[in-house]
Amino acid sequence: MRCLLLTVATMAFSTPSFAQTFFVDDATVVASNGTQSKTDIIVVDGVIQGRGARLSAPDGATTISGGWVTPGLFAPMSSLGMTDIGSAGPGNDVGSETSETNVSEYAADSFNPRSVHISNVRQSGITHAVIAPRSGGNSIFAGTGAIISMTGNFDSVIIPEAFVMVDMGETGTIRAGGSRAAAMSQLRAAIEDAEGFFKRYATQSDGGDILSRQDAAAFSRAVEGNIPLFIRVNRAADIMRLVELKSRHRSLDIVIVGGAEAWEVANDIAGANIRVILDPLQNLPSAFESAGSRLDNILFLEKAGVEYAISNLTALGVTKPATLAQHAGAAIVEGLRWDQAFSAISSVPASWFGVDTPSIVVWDGDPLEVTSAPIAMSIDGKAQSMTSRQKALRDRYNPTYDGNLSHKYR
Amino acid sequence: MDASDETPFASTYKPQPSTSVLLKNATLIDGVSAEERTGNILVADGRISFVGDGDVPEGVTEMDLEGRYVTPGIIDIHSHLGNYPSPGVRAHGDGNEATSPITSEVYAEHGVWPQDPGFDEALQGGVTTLHILPGSANLFGGRGVTLRNVPSRTVQGMKFPDAPYTLKMACGENPKRVYGTKGGPASRMGNVAGYRKNWIKAAAYKAKRDKGGDYDRDLQLETLADVLDGKILVQMHCYRADEMVQILDLAKEFEYKVTTFHHAVEAYKIGDYLAENDTCAAMWADWGAFKMESFDYINENIPFVHAADACAMIHSDDENNIQRLNQEVAKTWADGNRAGLNISKAEAWKWLSTNPAKALGILEETGTLEAGKRADIVIWDGDPFSTYGRPDKVMLDGAILFDRSSGLKPKSDFRLGYADLTEGVK
Repeated sequence: MRCLLLTVATMAFSTPSFAQTFFVDDATVVASNGTQSKTDIIVVDGVIQGRGARLSAPDGATTISGGWVTPGLFAPMSSLGMTDIGSAGPGNDVGSETSETNVSEYAADSFNPRSVHISNVRQSGITHAVIAPRSGGNSIFAGTGAIISMTGNFDSVIIPEAFVMVDMGETGTIRAGGSRAAAMSQLRAAIEDAEGFFKRYATQSDGGDILSRQDAAAFSRAVEGNIPLFIRVNRAADIMRLVELKSRHRSLDIVIVGGAEAWEVANDIAGANIRVILDPLQNLPSAFESAGSRLDNILFLEKAGVEYAISNLTALGVTKPATLAQHAGAAIVEGLRWDQAFSAISSVPASWFGVDTPSIVVWDGDPLEVTSAPIAMSIDGKAQSMTSRQKALRDRYNPTYDGNLSHKYR
Repeated sequence: MDASDETPFASTYKPQPSTSVLLKNATLIDGVSAEERTGNILVADGRISFVGDGDVPEGVTEMDLEGRYVTPGIIDIHSHLGNYPSPGVRAHGDGNEATSPITSEVYAEHGVWPQDPGFDEALQGGVTTLHILPGSANLFGGRGVTLRNVPSRTVQGMKFPDAPYTLKMACGENPKRVYGTKGGPASRMGNVAGYRKNWIKAAAYKAKRDKGGDYDRDLQLETLADVLDGKILVQMHCYRADEMVQILDLAKEFEYKVTTFHHAVEAYKIGDYLAENDTCAAMWADWGAFKMESFDYINENIPFVHAADACAMIHSDDENNIQRLNQEVAKTWADGNRAGLNISKAEAWKWLSTNPAKALGILEETGTLEAGKRADIVIWDGDPFSTYGRPDKVMLDGAILFDRSSGLKPKSDFRLGYADLTEGVK
């Protein structure tokens, strides 16, 4: 392992980040369903140019042994591009505390593809991400989330209206005025506003029970089931309320975010065709609503046939997705198969949004291993820069620097 | 009156019952050597009798580890378990007396709830000793306390016997944000003026105390004077490189020592200053950008500080990461080597136990696998530098308090009813 790391380190200093040829000797190749096979691979500028059992290294290629080649990771929850720093104020667009709108607030409008965190986080193998707003003020409705690719280009919002984000549970309770009953009342009223949109808002703009005209219009697509409705919820009893809601409004495409106690009602979730985004490392009773948290939550969902994606929800905010693979690896330790864990941070959430952009990551080891890192990446056939603000800082202050320039000239 | 004549809230810690055991055929990472090696450890009377080879008394139980990793117990120098416990309800927020920038009179131990379920989970992650600090709203936050991670009804029953007290201080954004509209400080200038004013008062108090005779006892100044006497170790929350160097100058002005900078997100920029001042840095592997002073985070912070010959270590400041500090170190270790360093696992392990023990003044008692020390030991079921390796057995003073194989683990009072429910299903 150490030899491999040193090879890669030397490379990082001696060659530019683009225009690289790698010969991955006896690579572990991971298919989109997570299954593994072995072959030699030649990667030029992040794109596979050759594969076969007995290839030899092209001239000038860097040889990697023990390498892995996988599809890019898909982060099912993030605030990437919406935040420069996590503390409140300009530089943080994740939630709007005093705005008069809610569902019609689009994360895509806040999204800045040039955020340095896009390239920082891309270095962990993530090629696509969900970006979601957070609720504020008196509304359980956070807004409308988007799907982005991690290229950092201005065309990187793939789906601007991807899903509607709602906070229920303890956060929703606070938003709605103090009780779960109030939060459910808001949710039901909003569904009826959207369902009866033409009747209610035809003559007056405030004709709805709870939503303004533009918010009701924005909510319609989720209520019709054209886009998913993401609902943050943890308590089993709260999840059962959503199962009941789904039985009344069958068009809703509900995705639970959190689901700490989902294991307790896994069969009901499966029966209602509700999907779950969860963190396999959530095991503390961090709130009363998650008192039943347990590390093997995900195994219950797998057994019940619930479709799930893994997110590192308990990790820190702004650059949260960076540790996605570590959290997926934790599920394997609990008993999930490797291919299931890997799919839950790649093809499964991608399929929910029909994202099938080809993406490739070449790793120096098992991508779910904390000591591994990507060494080359491509999105839609285009090589991605393996540099970032973090790496620039790293290089400037690297103890191995042996030049004579002072820091600001390096 | 002299406070040192008595020991208020004294430790009542007693090791749990244990039997002698020979751990055979272990892959040892001992926290001292830079290389791992194969060997045996004899544990007797709660202490380490030998590491490597030695005389084994007759009748001692043998445990053949078949090459599995054995390490010192992990020490987390920055935790709020107990004073910001789970569940995180407002009534549980006992970690910061944010009513004045100077609260050096408060003791973290008076806000620690020993039933925090987080202690039990941290134990399962191999944490045998942890240091609980007051929060960072204040310039002088109060006294920290070092705890043995044992199930106990009281915090006194967890207090590490004879561990020195610590003083939490804070730099930067937090004090000026919290007090900016409450009489100050409202800037980094105000922060430094606040430290200096109070060190001047502390020096006067100390002079009075040193002279003997009658004086009015002042809890606030007592803590600061104990720092000036070298009895209390300064643990200072500080992110920015330039600010840490200002603080090192402040310490020179008032002749005290900064033992450790905590968080120290920019420590990698000033490894040389840290080494020269013999000041440690306790850091995360990859946290940053949550506020301006953490914007320049890099994943190689710990190995870069280590490479400057300064005392580097991991810390959690988090009820989740404390359960996997070995993985946090594995990440930063791998990134450091990827950046061109050549640090062995055994060397990197010092970030998990040796250096935090040093920075808490308890290295003579724990932190390494050496004869005579407390038998605080983790036996791993895989490689501790891996996603897939976890503690199988965790020992404090030779007593196995967590055993994944047998299912032995502590359970907080809070878990009752809830935990019974969750365990019933399996």
